[in-house]
Amino acid sequence: MEQFWNVTLQLLGGFMQNCELFGVTLLAALPLGLIVAFGSMSRFFPIKAVCRTLVWIIRGTPLLLQLFVVYYIPPMMTNGDFRFGDRMTAAIIAFIINYAAYFSEVYRGGIESIPKGQYEAGYVLGMKKRQIFFKVVFMQVIKRIIPPMSNEIITLVKDTSLARIILVEEILKFADDFRVQGLIWPVFYTGVFFLLFCGLLTLLFRFIEKKLDYYKV
Amino acid sequence: MAFLEVKNIKKSFGKNTVLKNIGFSLEKGEVLAIIGSSGSGKTTLLRCVNFLETPEKGVIYVGGKLLFDADDPMIKRESEIRRNRLHFGMVFQQFNLFPQYTVFDNLVLAPKLLAKDQIRSRGSYRGVASFKQAQASIISEAEQLLEKVGLTEKRDSYPCDLSGGQQQRVAIARALALHPDILCFDEPTSALDPELTGEVLNVIKGLKSSDSTMIVVTHEIGFARAVADKIIFMDNGVIEEEGTPDEVIGNPKSQRTREFLARFNRFGD
Ligand SMILES: Nc1ncnc2c1ncn2[C@@H]1O[C@H](COP(=O)(O)OP(=O)(O)OP(=O)(O)O)[C@@H](O)[C@H]1O
Ligand SMILES: [Mg+2]
Repeated sequence: MEQFWNVTLQLLGGFMQNCELFGVTLLAALPLGLIVAFGSMSRFFPIKAVCRTLVWIIRGTPLLLQLFVVYYIPPMMTNGDFRFGDRMTAAIIAFIINYAAYFSEVYRGGIESIPKGQYEAGYVLGMKKRQIFFKVVFMQVIKRIIPPMSNEIITLVKDTSLARIILVEEILKFADDFRVQGLIWPVFYTGVFFLLFCGLLTLLFRFIEKKLDYYKV
Repeated sequence: MAFLEVKNIKKSFGKNTVLKNIGFSLEKGEVLAIIGSSGSGKTTLLRCVNFLETPEKGVIYVGGKLLFDADDPMIKRESEIRRNRLHFGMVFQQFNLFPQYTVFDNLVLAPKLLAKDQIRSRGSYRGVASFKQAQASIISEAEQLLEKVGLTEKRDSYPCDLSGGQQQRVAIARALALHPDILCFDEPTSALDPELTGEVLNVIKGLKSSDSTMIVVTHEIGFARAVADKIIFMDNGVIEEEGTPDEVIGNPKSQRTREFLARFNRFGD
């Protein structure tokens, strides 16, 4: 029993790292993704080309590779003079870039799915572009992107364990340490943490969807 | 010069010239009906008048004021267009209500934003300098408009809970809330079940008696004949015939007009 609590506390400590990575990534990538989405839809070709190419590269290569690149390449290029703070910082940067790219595609899909008639209705009512976006289109986009966005966010929860590849001390790293000491069950036990966390998120998203049920788009 | 003067409008999409030198005029309080077969350019004309499309050629005057000149780049700036657009209101075939707002909020959203902007930039909205006061009159006007279109009891409903006819009546009230000089309708009843067209057409008839200037694109020939002071028959991007309802529908001169009306008579309207 004491062993169980010990393991639980250790794993929980590790899971806090996962939560930190999750939280910071989410907070930064949600707005950043929206900006990238605007860039990908820009009528100014160079901006559009740069944004779309970036998104293509980020979504077309493994997150693991991106973690390597962010963590190992800067010190190699600068003879060790520059690196992104600690391992966690490097992981956070790689995750934010990766998820901003994914989120931007979700936003873009949502924004492009709003019928042209909504914008035109706004125009003929004398509204400005910005007003149309924030007062008319935005809430409709939110409603449409909640299902795909919840998928991405739940994937993010599980992806945080990939940070282990650059030796961030997240939950799987602790479980693996136990395994090396001959203790196998903590490896499976880590699953419980992820299941509970994802379960809570699922409930939260369902709640939000219910809240927005009063209108149809 | 008439109240509304539209002159020499030319509009193409790629190589397809949809409007070939179209012009018409309308006096204050008059109702113009535009009829014509599918693809003849009626919607495009209405969209040009509302600045949703930019014609390559042509000018538009309202009340003697030049609102659009295809040759003048200054007049095509976004802020200018936005201001000039307010002379026109537009009711779409597909209603285009804002789904996340109640009926009432659909009506007051744009006027409130406009009031805020105008009070900030020129110190007053419709002669009122305080936003609180402007807001109060926007609200009471919206209530009157809902009564006018017979939807007072739907004030707090969402568009998805209304019938098509009710949604279109809200769209009409929403357009009126900005006091347009000229209200445009693009086939306002085409997306409706036949039994719902009457309620919308009646609202439009009601507006005529309150002296609104209107342009109605419609396939309802009987309705056009009953409300319009003036009818334009469009064919293939030109005005084939225009005149009073009795002239155009009762006694058409052009062969194309006769053929078009014959199709309607055969299938009934
Ligand atoms: N955005 C656009 N891009 C390209 N072509 C267009 C566009 N809008 C309209 N057209 C073309 O312009 C022509 C006239 O279209 P318009 O919608 O004005 O006709 P209409 O008289 O309103 O027809 P309907 O009675 O079917 O509504 C059609 O040939 C159409 O294909
Ligand atoms: Mg049309």
